[in-house]
Amino acid sequence: MSEYMVEMQHIDKVFRTRHVLQLDEETRRRRWYKVNEVHAAADICFGIKSGEIFGLLGPNGAGKTTAVKMISGLVRPDRGMVLVDGLDVERKRRQILRKVGVVLEGTRTSMWPLTPYENLMYYGNLKNVRGSVLKGRAHDLLDFIGLKEKKNTEVRKLSRGQKQKLAICIALIADPNVLLLDEPTTGLDVQSSRAIKDKIIELTRQHGRSVLVTTHDMHVAQELCDRIGIINKGHLVTCQPTSDLLDLFSDQVFSFKVSSLPDSAEFSDIPGVLAATTEQSADGPVLVVKVAPDEALRSEALYGVTERLRGLGCRMVSVNQRQQNLESVFLQITGEPLQDAGEKDSSGTDAA
Amino acid sequence: MGFFLVMKAELVRTWIIMRRYWFRTVTGMIMGYGMLMVMIAGFIYSRPMVGSAINKIEDPMAATNFVLGFIIGMFAFGVVGMFTQGLQGMATTGVLEQLCMSPHGLITNFMAQTLVGSVTSILSSSVMVFMVTFTVGGTMHWDTIPVVVLLTLTFFNLIGFGFMVGGLVLVFKQVGQVAFILRMALFGLAVFAREDLLKQPWFVTVPMHLLPVTDAAICLKYVLIKGQVDAAGQHLSVFQHPSFYWLFASCFLWTAIGLAVFRVMEDYSRSKGTLGSY
Repeated sequence: MSEYMVEMQHIDKVFRTRHVLQLDEETRRRRWYKVNEVHAAADICFGIKSGEIFGLLGPNGAGKTTAVKMISGLVRPDRGMVLVDGLDVERKRRQILRKVGVVLEGTRTSMWPLTPYENLMYYGNLKNVRGSVLKGRAHDLLDFIGLKEKKNTEVRKLSRGQKQKLAICIALIADPNVLLLDEPTTGLDVQSSRAIKDKIIELTRQHGRSVLVTTHDMHVAQELCDRIGIINKGHLVTCQPTSDLLDLFSDQVFSFKVSSLPDSAEFSDIPGVLAATTEQSADGPVLVVKVAPDEALRSEALYGVTERLRGLGCRMVSVNQRQQNLESVFLQITGEPLQDAGEKDSSGTDAA
Repeated sequence: MGFFLVMKAELVRTWIIMRRYWFRTVTGMIMGYGMLMVMIAGFIYSRPMVGSAINKIEDPMAATNFVLGFIIGMFAFGVVGMFTQGLQGMATTGVLEQLCMSPHGLITNFMAQTLVGSVTSILSSSVMVFMVTFTVGGTMHWDTIPVVVLLTLTFFNLIGFGFMVGGLVLVFKQVGQVAFILRMALFGLAVFAREDLLKQPWFVTVPMHLLPVTDAAICLKYVLIKGQVDAAGQHLSVFQHPSFYWLFASCFLWTAIGLAVFRVMEDYSRSKGTLGSY
């Protein structure tokens, strides 16, 4: 028996879009017929354990939603196998749909003319839950998520955060073991976002559910997830426990805005300085220095850099600690810049 | 069992929406009635003055024939529409993705949804037919068993056709626009369908028979308007009418084709990654 509740084994998926009479950007000539291929998944392998929150982190178009749709059976992989509770999604799709609750990003999901309670009753029947079990569960979920007072208000009158909470309730109405959340906090205000994150944590810690969260916001992943997989252009770049990945995020990078651009090589011999580069920003020349995480070494490095700048005759305007983001972590892991797969990964195949 | 559970859910949802938006429901029926009356006055009687036409109705049977054809046409338009525009609407609102993830399967969900929609449409249409027929002084022959049998066959005939079109819409989104023209054609055919239409060469009549609404409209009009009396003035049950056999055959044909195409297209749509989205 596998230790994973959800397992993706060597998944490949290529989406092909066909265009008639499209302008070829390279030759500037019109083609009769052109096929664009986007690799949404390339040999993806990961697993989600029971009671674990797994984060799938990546830019827009990286293949996060496709992964969610493949687990929920909405998209069929070209190669590989998706297993939920040991069952193959392709062979036992209907059985698996009883075990999986999904909240897809950007969709309305709920029926706006109905109230939250009526929505839960409707979707409960659709998911084969009935009678007193359904009624009890609908009340419990509305209570749990904090929509009890709004249970008789039409959904169209609810705020976006409340609608998102209802979408989570709908996903939970069949009491699934696995919850798939595609960008659950996108577009929400801080308060709603916080409330939803708390509920997701509660669902996992207290109710033992396996949760997959996709996001392009590393802070969301950091707050929620036990493990994080970074995906880009359909490739799973890394899959590590959040604490390990955070080490990469915790690098100390400082930017010194200066009056004139110094030679970066001048700073490499300073104790505690790991790397130094220069760049010309819109505000003027900037020296970027990466220093050791150790506190004593860091202080020594920063003192050394300011002294060296003074020695070189560069006036220091300001110093800022740079926030590490997904892009810089991605750069550190792969050595390549992060690209928007939706725009950059469409390798055109000319079929004309 | 799952089908009835989904049907119950659909029934409750439809009832809630009709009740919650009761004003829209009532005004819709009044508008439908008004529209039919204006069309009868304007198109059937073609008098210079619509007002005087209403007062000088000479052939109530023609009016009833038109109204019934109109209602059957609306029924066909609506049922096929649930698989085209309805499907597109559900896809854009995200409800379709939820239906796709229902353990009952998309076919069961659509079947239940369309059945409830059709029953609602038949009930409101019946009220309109009765009101218009009463206004123009026409008569209708209500014979429960043949009417129920014919409506059931018509429903499965249309639902089969709808499943075929809906399956194509799942993959080829532009089919929805073409289907709109097809729906209009079905609508027109239902309004003007009569036995005389089938007295043409075989290459005209066979395609007419194959269309899902021709024989259904002829049979329903034969029962409700003519009271199952043939051209010779003899009582001939609709179950012995040639159009009934065609209706029976096309019902099986369209249901089989529709379900097969829908299954194949649903599967293909999953491979393409377009299932549930528009």
